[in-house]
Amino acid sequence: MLAALIPYHQVRDDLWRPLAGASKRYMLVLALLSAVALWGLIAWGYQIHVGIGVAGIQRPVFWGFYLVDFVFWIGISHAGTLISAILRLTDADWRKPVTRAAEAITVFALMIGGMFPLIHLGRVWLFYWLFPYPNSRLLWPNYRSPLMWDVTAISTYLTGSLIFLYLPLIPDVAQLAQKTSGWRLRLYKIMALGWTGSDREWHALERAMKLMAGIILAVAVSVHSVVAWDFAMAIAPMWHSTIFAPYFVVGAIFSGLAGLIVALNIIRRTMHLENYLLPHHFNNLAKLLLLMSLLWLYFTFAEHLTVWYGNEPKEMRVFGARVSGRFSPEFWVMVLVNFVVPFVLLGIRRLRSITTATIASVGVLIGMWLERYLIIIPTLSMPSLRSSWGHYSPSWVEISITIATFAAMASLYLIFSKLFPIVSVWEFEPHPQEEP
Amino acid sequence: MSFFITGTFAAKDPLTDAIKKLKANGFSAADLAVFSDEPIEFPRGVLDRPSHMSLAVVSGAVTFFLLVVGFVYYTQTTYPLVTGGMPIFSFWATGVVFYEITMLGAILTTAGWFIWESGLLRRDKNIPVPAIEPEVICLRIRCTPDKLGTAAAILQNAGAQNVGKLEKAA
Repeated sequence: MLAALIPYHQVRDDLWRPLAGASKRYMLVLALLSAVALWGLIAWGYQIHVGIGVAGIQRPVFWGFYLVDFVFWIGISHAGTLISAILRLTDADWRKPVTRAAEAITVFALMIGGMFPLIHLGRVWLFYWLFPYPNSRLLWPNYRSPLMWDVTAISTYLTGSLIFLYLPLIPDVAQLAQKTSGWRLRLYKIMALGWTGSDREWHALERAMKLMAGIILAVAVSVHSVVAWDFAMAIAPMWHSTIFAPYFVVGAIFSGLAGLIVALNIIRRTMHLENYLLPHHFNNLAKLLLLMSLLWLYFTFAEHLTVWYGNEPKEMRVFGARVSGRFSPEFWVMVLVNFVVPFVLLGIRRLRSITTATIASVGVLIGMWLERYLIIIPTLSMPSLRSSWGHYSPSWVEISITIATFAAMASLYLIFSKLFPIVSVWEFEPHPQEEP
Repeated sequence: MSFFITGTFAAKDPLTDAIKKLKANGFSAADLAVFSDEPIEFPRGVLDRPSHMSLAVVSGAVTFFLLVVGFVYYTQTTYPLVTGGMPIFSFWATGVVFYEITMLGAILTTAGWFIWESGLLRRDKNIPVPAIEPEVICLRIRCTPDKLGTAAAILQNAGAQNVGKLEKAA
């Protein structure tokens, strides 16, 4: 059966419609999410006022929820830029409705993830000590420290991701500027930089995007490698591993894809973009998610097998705690939601649908958060000296801030989707509508 | 004195023909500009826009690399730390910082070069810009008074609609 084409003017109308006005439901959801995010800010304010002691972190577990959240959100940030860059470089045509939504996730996840080292600092007002300038004794920051590696890696990635999101937005805001008035007009005009749609501009944009895709790919891989090296450079049980960097990169892409699928499904339903975010987009993303699930299982198995076979006592204590000890419930839930559920729901073709892909993705997000928890907490709880062992339980401040970051992410995304088309209009060529 | 003439096209093929004929009649690529609301790719040789963006990006990356190596070397050696015989400046231990700043150089140069090469922010305000409608491609030609007729005839023969002189916006 011949498929009908969506005329370009309808593409515009459909993709610009969500920008016009805000419904009561939208405002209510935004208000609720903002309230939760505000609660997180209050909790952080309380921590700043009273001191870092209000958090549950104490010796030997000096990294708790904050570092778990940091690694988790940096991982989620790989959803956009990395996936978008890979799909751009491989000229995957189905990426077009997906890329902007993905790139926006990257920017917001990085902004949130990048806050956690500051929250973890305790005395956040001294964060400027990380800036490259000499102190009163003429000592400079130590660039050999993985903390400084993090600062440079995340700053570079955030800068690159912002530019990667902004460049393809220019033609869209230039067109939007012709249709709006008031503060939106001023905003779009400033952002459009005087774009006229000339071939010289298009050529420059396409060249820049190709180059940026290559560069950002290399940066994204390096960023999560650096996050992995934060752990791997320490001679601590189950951290000092040569495969930690690729293991983290795989986990980051895995969780990022899951975040993207969840976000796209919500966008599809709430903005009525069923004609643009089609089942085959979700099908392709679901297949990628399944591939990453298998890769994640391979890395997890390789990591644990090597430790088990080596039978090093201090490593085996952490291994045992994870697999059959006090952390085993979290471990086996992680295996269930990161491998078993995606394998069944996405591996069996008959079961694969938008709904099952979203269910599997929500599971993967939970599983990947647990994975970060299981990497950080057991190792710190059980250092080499048995007399130094300790427990960690998060305080209400840490839990509040963790929950608030999810609300903040959703709020930022909601606001973004009201300001800019969440699907790139100019990249969206008229396409055949799928038969129901 | 230069004049500007425009013609609109609904498809790429007649536009390509028009550009080829205009170039055969002495118009250069610099005299021609195509305006559209989505990118249009022409076959090689029709309306090439040479670019040095790749070279600029590599140069930017190399510059930032040299700057960051110099800067880190300075910061590590300017204060006489006691390192117990270990090297005071370690290239490998600071390699991540070098890598990231090199990439930052590449990113910033890409963004900067895009703005430069696209002509955004340095547009000659005396050159009029046609308003573009969705799904319509507009060809703007810069010509001298004696070539106005030739340009208009080529546009019309190629099937352009709305051929006319473009005045500077008020």
